[in-house]
Amino acid sequence: MNGTRATAARRRKLVMKGLESAILLLALFLILFPIVWMALTAFKRPVDLFELTLLFTPTLDNFRTIFAAPWNIGAALWNSTVVAGLTVLISIPCSTLAAYAFSRFEMRFKGALFFTILATQFIPAVVVVLPFYLLFRDLGLLDTHLALVIVNLAIVTPFAVWMLKGFLDAVPTESEEAALVDGATRLRVILDIVVPMVWPGVLVTAVFCFILTWNEFLFALILTRDNAVTLPVGITRFRTERGDLWELIAAAGILISIPMFLLSSVIQRHFVRGMTGGAVK
Amino acid sequence: MADVSLRNLTKAWGGFTAVRDQSLEIRDGEFMVLLGPSGCGKTTTMRMIAGLEEPTAGDILIGGQRVNDLPPRDRDIAMVFQSYGLYPHMTVEDNIGYPLKLRGIKGAERAAQVRAAAAKVELEPLLHRRPKELSGGQRQRVALARAIVRRPTVFLMDEPLSNLDAKLRVSTRAEIKHLQHELGVTTVYVTHDQIEAMTLAHRVAVMQGGEIRQLDTPEVIYDRPADLFVAGFIGSPPMNLVDGDHADGRFTAAGGFHATTGVARHGGRAVLGVRPEDVTVGPAGSGDLDASIYAVELTGDAVLVTVQAGAARIIAKADRAWRAEIGSTVALRLDASRLHLFDAASTKRLQPE
Repeated sequence: MNGTRATAARRRKLVMKGLESAILLLALFLILFPIVWMALTAFKRPVDLFELTLLFTPTLDNFRTIFAAPWNIGAALWNSTVVAGLTVLISIPCSTLAAYAFSRFEMRFKGALFFTILATQFIPAVVVVLPFYLLFRDLGLLDTHLALVIVNLAIVTPFAVWMLKGFLDAVPTESEEAALVDGATRLRVILDIVVPMVWPGVLVTAVFCFILTWNEFLFALILTRDNAVTLPVGITRFRTERGDLWELIAAAGILISIPMFLLSSVIQRHFVRGMTGGAVK
Repeated sequence: MADVSLRNLTKAWGGFTAVRDQSLEIRDGEFMVLLGPSGCGKTTTMRMIAGLEEPTAGDILIGGQRVNDLPPRDRDIAMVFQSYGLYPHMTVEDNIGYPLKLRGIKGAERAAQVRAAAAKVELEPLLHRRPKELSGGQRQRVALARAIVRRPTVFLMDEPLSNLDAKLRVSTRAEIKHLQHELGVTTVYVTHDQIEAMTLAHRVAVMQGGEIRQLDTPEVIYDRPADLFVAGFIGSPPMNLVDGDHADGRFTAAGGFHATTGVARHGGRAVLGVRPEDVTVGPAGSGDLDASIYAVELTGDAVLVTVQAGAARIIAKADRAWRAEIGSTVALRLDASRLHLFDAASTKRLQPE
């Protein structure tokens, strides 16, 4: 009696485990399939495109094609790099200072102010994209890096402030106070003491901002035409009157994804390493 | 070197007053200990001297100069924090050298001064380690070295020993005392530990509820506590305090406890205080009053005898060879010259004429 109940319990456990694995595998398949498909397609010749075989002669022709005229994807790669790079370089120092102020200083309406910063992101992008278009047209900034950097700063900085405040809140203030007494100005304290202590957090935030900017599509589509086209917009150019050039789309897709893979591996390494060890107690 | 004066200093957050109208003159070269239970305002007082906290009212003067509006870096002070406040990403050498670096002292000169400070606290072999590779005591010594590396006019120490184990606390306490004596720098030291206060201070300010209850040398604070709070806070085991009535120089309490006080002019409810070492136990009938033994505790260097004298329990410190059975009757003799009488209503000390 007791034995059969035990066996039944064990069987139920086994079934649950099997179900769990099946669901995980399904999820994994759904996530990985497009990536694998893209990776394979990028190395196929057009004739092999719609063959569902894994055995084909791989070629780098697609990459050569997208870098050559008329596609010149290299220009889009450069634009994306400049826009994302500048956005991060401007946003991170500004956000760090803002987050530090929110984390350490008492001020009037602090809660409301802090909430407002994130609230700006509640507005759907499509609502503001047209006003932005008109604004940049009047300023003569359409199709420039500067316009995209400004727009991306507006998107990325609120998130960065929120993330960095979280990291800063976790750092004990005693080392900072020690530095103030030792003779440092507030700015020196931030540069010499605070930033090194939250460096992993700064890095994670920077990568997060870079990825957001790198993948931004809507504003880049509306605000650029020829000179400042970024990679996500550049990819749409492969939808031609001759049809969708899937092998080129896939090759460009690989190009977009590579920095993401590299950056996520960097984050992983730094994320686990705590820097505050030994500071207090 | 400089004196520090606090004039009517107050710090309040919203409705809570941490420090209330406090005035204190700390002399040049003096070792001043602010002593009190947690929440008494001692750390807040120190943080205001450091410039880490802004006073709500009152003035702070260092070397005669009003420093209320000066940031910490312009006050020429050094501070040792309870949790050390080291810079985790810097080596011991860079930690100690940071105050010098900020003052533009470079290269060989900085290295020499860092080594001299490290030598004072025996840290030279560890200069290239990082804080997380050090023990608690070593970290505390880094914090000390960082404080003494440039000669500040005032040292501030916020419970610097509280994170160390008991043995290390005793040796580091001696080191701090030696260093302060050697450097002669005005020092303000915050602690809740009365032994630290007694051993280190030139003068102790006993604080409670944001106010200074008594300010004097450790001897006076121990021998003539100004009120019941100070009497109960200083001393281990604490002073025996017995509630009773006082009239015509004679104190009586419920259950037959009595003593002669030498205070003639007071009558009414009172509290009699006597330190355990001023109570002698002897054979029954030989002393001021008889009492039965409630507990006997051997501490190693002494025997603590708790007796039930009427309604009160009194602790006496006896010789370490002294032995008796619980429940047996002994005689208590109170050292009449070392009795303390406090008015029950005002809690203030009543001085014998």
